[in-house]
Amino acid sequence: MFIRLETSSGMPIARQIADQVRTHCASGSLCPGDRLPSVRQLAKELAVNQNTVLRVYERLTAEGLLERRHGDGTYVADRLPPGRLKAQRALLEQDARRLAKRATDLNIDADEVHKLLDEVFDKLSREKAPAQTR
Amino acid sequence: MSDQPVIEISGVVKTFGRKRVLDGETFAVQAGQTFAFLGRNGAGKTTTIRMLLGLIKPDSGTVRVLGLDPQKQPLEVRRRVGYVAEDQAMFGWMRVSQIISFIAPFYPKWDHGWARQLSERFELPLSTKVKHLSKGQGVRLALLLALAHRPELVILDDPTLGLDPIMRKEFLRDLVTYLQGERVTVFFSSHLLYEVEPVADAVAILDHGQVLRQDSTENLRAQIKRLIVPATAEAAVRELPGILDIARCGRQVAVVVSDAAPAVAALEHEGIAVQEIDLNLDEIFEAYVIGRKEPANAGPPLERVA
Repeated sequence: MFIRLETSSGMPIARQIADQVRTHCASGSLCPGDRLPSVRQLAKELAVNQNTVLRVYERLTAEGLLERRHGDGTYVADRLPPGRLKAQRALLEQDARRLAKRATDLNIDADEVHKLLDEVFDKLSREKAPAQTR
Repeated sequence: MSDQPVIEISGVVKTFGRKRVLDGETFAVQAGQTFAFLGRNGAGKTTTIRMLLGLIKPDSGTVRVLGLDPQKQPLEVRRRVGYVAEDQAMFGWMRVSQIISFIAPFYPKWDHGWARQLSERFELPLSTKVKHLSKGQGVRLALLLALAHRPELVILDDPTLGLDPIMRKEFLRDLVTYLQGERVTVFFSSHLLYEVEPVADAVAILDHGQVLRQDSTENLRAQIKRLIVPATAEAAVRELPGILDIARCGRQVAVVVSDAAPAVAALEHEGIAVQEIDLNLDEIFEAYVIGRKEPANAGPPLERVA
């Protein structure tokens, strides 16, 4: 599970970690039953407060994305049927919101944005970049 | 453990000659917290730390460390506190193993096993002379000496000063692993804000001898925001409580407020369109320390300073 933090960003560390774990789950680079690093391990790796990591794990457990097995660490939940799609949508919605806001700031209306998106999808499929996640 | 704060500083004043270095300083550190003490050079950080250790006496106000008055029980305080000074002076001619066995008898609770473990994990060369250690090894040795007597509180005065970026990160990892992992309360001063933030539970911002704000890092981030509004709304903006910084930029006014939610609600109530911008710890610090309460007409918004 690769996580990269931007400490100078305006986004709080906890949210950065949570979003990236969600992305890993949504994209399939973390699969149901996979074991996550322990709180201690991840905190050390990222040089981040253990409480922050603990809070993120707790939040994602409450969302049903993770499962904490007593005395045996944290795993990606076995079943995330409604969750997975919803999590993917929620992540994309954040980006969509940002795009919509940016467009509003630039005085570009929704139709124009839709057109632009179609063009971008077109370009992507033409480039036929191997569909690898980063 | 009791609910009593591990460190409690209340209304402390300290003057050196005509200079008022601490001017009614007040803050508290709770047990188990990792607490970052932030301030520019000369803000009073080191003076505060020396006071916590009983090395200098406040003119007025109260200082409590682990419930003790460091002026009355300095030895008891130093026995229960681990301390790494800003520029740790150590006996350069001693070998690492010698300095460890030299320091150990000063502490009744010295844990030889733990000292050995730390020296292994820190990969300290035991037979090397202290003066030949690298800067990073020196800090790790100081940390070992501060931790091996199993202190309840560790005070670190700008521990990453002079370390390169890799060693700084390593140091923060050590802190997370060997201090937070062992449930020790940590009080550390620094001016490297964005490096501090990921490891700190709470911060205090010290300026001109006063704590301008003490809060959890999460609250700071959630509450302190920059709001951008049209210049026509400047009058309404200036009515807001808790303005830390205000600047005019062309057709817009940018204002940093200490509690964004009620400010945004108040502006929106008046039909003013507000754009809310998250700030990082550097920007928050800057707003507190050099923010302008009166708008300057100058152009671009604040830029980050180191």
